[in-house]
Amino acid sequence: MSSAPREAGSWGRILGTLGLAVLLTQLPWSGWALALRPDFLLIVVLFWTLHQPTRVGFGAAFLLGLVSDFQDGAVFGQHAVAYLVGVYAMLFLRLRLLQFDPLRQAAQLFPILLAVQLVVLLVGWLAIKPPTGLAIFMPVLSGTLLWFVIALLQRAWHGKGMRGAE
Amino acid sequence: MPGQLMFARRLGPTARLAIWFAIGMTCVVLDTRYRALEGMRAGFSVVLQPLRVALRTPADVASEIGGFFTRHRLLQKERDALLAERTRLQIEADRAEDLARENAALRTLLGLQSRPGQQVVRAALLYQGHDWFGQKIVLDHGAAAGLRNGLPVVDDAGLMGQVTRVFPASSEVTLVSSPEQLTPVMLERTGQRGLAAGVGHGRLELRYMPVQADVRVGDRLLTSGIDRIYPAALPVARISRIVRSQSSPYLRVECVPLAGLDRARAVLVLAARPQEARP
Repeated sequence: MSSAPREAGSWGRILGTLGLAVLLTQLPWSGWALALRPDFLLIVVLFWTLHQPTRVGFGAAFLLGLVSDFQDGAVFGQHAVAYLVGVYAMLFLRLRLLQFDPLRQAAQLFPILLAVQLVVLLVGWLAIKPPTGLAIFMPVLSGTLLWFVIALLQRAWHGKGMRGAE
Repeated sequence: MPGQLMFARRLGPTARLAIWFAIGMTCVVLDTRYRALEGMRAGFSVVLQPLRVALRTPADVASEIGGFFTRHRLLQKERDALLAERTRLQIEADRAEDLARENAALRTLLGLQSRPGQQVVRAALLYQGHDWFGQKIVLDHGAAAGLRNGLPVVDDAGLMGQVTRVFPASSEVTLVSSPEQLTPVMLERTGQRGLAAGVGHGRLELRYMPVQADVRVGDRLLTSGIDRIYPAALPVARISRIVRSQSSPYLRVECVPLAGLDRARAVLVLAARPQEARP
C-alpha cells in the first residue's frame, strides 16, 4: 500500500463514510430507486477493507450486515454473513485490486458483489423461502457503478496516491 | 493467498472468516428458529428511528416545494369537490350511525355479542425495505401509540397489510403482496369466500378457486372478516387475469392490490378495542 491512502484513511474519515452510508440507506427509497439502490454499506466496507484492512474488516462488516438486515426486515445474519464473504474476497484479492485503475477495479468488483448477493440469496432461501424474481441482482450492477465513481473520486482526490502501487 | 495479511500474532483471514461465519449462522438460526433476537431488532430501531425521521425531511421539503407551485385554480376545484364529498359522506355517516344503533338494538334482542369498536391510529410511512423475500414497510408509530402485532393497516383505497413487528416508536408492516402473506377474502359480486396470497412484486393470487367458480376479471375482493383479524369488507384487490389450466382442479387467479402499496405515504392502522370478556 502506498503512503497516501494510509494518511487519508484516518479513523474520522472511516467512521464518517460509514455513517454517511448508514444515512444514505435510511432515506425513504421507493420504486425504481429502491430496486436500483446500491448497497452503500457493503461498498463502504469493501472500500475500507481494500485501503485500510487493519482497521476495517470482518467485525465492521458483520455489524453493518446486521444493520442491513434490520433495514430490510430480513433474518438477522443474512447480510452479515454475505458481507463477511465480500470482505474475505477483498482481502484475498487486495494487492491485485490496488494495481488497477478505477474502471478495471470496478469490473473486478462485479464478481465480488455478485458473490455477496448470491450469499444473501442463499441464506435467505435456506432461512425463509425462495425470493421473488431477479431484482435482487440489481444492486450488483449499481454497486459496481458506484465503486467506479468512488474509485475515480479517490484518484482525483489523492492524485497518484492509489496508483503509486503500480 | 489468504495468508498474505497474516501478522505474527493475528489469525489469518480464513480463520477469522470461519469464526465470524459461525457467529453469523448462529444469528440466523437464533432468529428464524427461536425468534431470540427481537430485542436486538428493537435496539436497532431505537437507534435508527431518529435518523429515519430526520432523513424523511428532504423528501417532505421537496414535495412541499412542488405543492407550492400547484395552481390556485386546481386547488379551488379540489376544494369544491371535497366540500361536495364531505356533504355526501356526512349524510352517509348519519345513516350509518342510525344503522349502527338499530344493529346494536337487534343484537341485544338476539343476545349476540356486539362487535368490537374500531379505533384508528394515523401513521406515516417511514421506510420501505427491499422486495426480495417479502415486502415490509416501516411506520412511524409503535407500541407507544397502542399498536400490536396483527393489526390491519389500510390506506384510502384498501387493505395494505398487517403489523408484524412492533418497536417502541415504529412498527413493521408486512404487505398483502408479500409472499406467503394470506388474507381471507370474499368476492364482492358473489360473496364466495377464498384465500388471497401474496406472490411478491406487488401482486396477489386467489388460491383454491374451483374451475367452475364464478370469477371474472375485474371482480373486487373484500376481506371476509371470518378470521377476526381484519374487519369485514375492506377492499383488498381486483382480479386482473384468470388462467384455466387442464392439469389443476383450481383456477389461477391473479389480482392487483387496490391499496397503493408502493405509493401510499399516510396510512391508517385499525386498532380494534380489545374485546371485553363475557361475564
